[in-house]
Amino acid sequence: MAEYTSMQLSSEDAARSLAAIDASRAAMRSALRANRGHYQLWLWGLIWIAMALLAEFRGEAGVRLFPWLVLAGFPISILIGATQARRIRSSPVDKRFLGVLAAVILFGLVVPFVLLRGPVSSQALFAYCGLVTMLCYVIAGIWFDTHLLWLGTAMAALILIGLFVFPAIFWWWIAIFGGGPLIATGFYVRYCVP
Amino acid sequence: MPELDAVIHQPVRLQIMAALTHLGPREQVDFSFLKSRLALTDGNLGAHLLTLEQAGYIAVAKAFVARKPKTYVAATAAGRRAFDGHVAALTAILQPRGPA
Repeated sequence: MAEYTSMQLSSEDAARSLAAIDASRAAMRSALRANRGHYQLWLWGLIWIAMALLAEFRGEAGVRLFPWLVLAGFPISILIGATQARRIRSSPVDKRFLGVLAAVILFGLVVPFVLLRGPVSSQALFAYCGLVTMLCYVIAGIWFDTHLLWLGTAMAALILIGLFVFPAIFWWWIAIFGGGPLIATGFYVRYCVP
Repeated sequence: MPELDAVIHQPVRLQIMAALTHLGPREQVDFSFLKSRLALTDGNLGAHLLTLEQAGYIAVAKAFVARKPKTYVAATAAGRRAFDGHVAALTAILQPRGPA
């Protein structure tokens, strides 16, 4: 194969090659943007807002609908993930990472039944589930994507502030500062991250 | 002074490497998706990927997704280094040269 050297290439050819690189990267950049986690963030942001508004306006009857909303969200989430993974996928995830996530979720599910056997408010239970979810975001952020680390940390702080500082307007707080940041982060990763 | 890379310099391979090095180090792209993004044919893309794979610049992985065979490609660390060197060489050509 012929060896190219800088001496054999004119500056026009070099400029054309660099322009071709930019064009190719721009095409890939737009493809990557379409494959980020924004659909997941929008979906779960809407579900959080729906849960908060149901609790605010329908009270305990609305809270009883939470598991159904979450159950409806999971298959949609899996479908989105599977569709996106067919185009661009990460190399196989470290099994230890999946182990950590599974352990967090398992402990997160068990703890309320063990520790909170007495009456517990729907606000506290929602805050607890939200914190477990944000812990998963933080772990995923440490491993893969710093956006999730910051989102998880900020959302955990906002949930705690809503629970302890503004209990009277907790559900409005969650609709705005829970669902809102998820949707806003979705827009940010879709349109603003280079 | 950085040198141009003969394997990467070919226009289609240059496009492929530019696209693949834009992915994260853990990310792989589906063959069909790459083909559509770069507007190439199966045969053309396949032939150039083979050349890049033989040079050690990309890694090709086969997988089954929903029982269908899929081919994923990614730039290797050596490929990223070679591509960065090639871009540096192209950029150097455009730099005004001082008196000898």
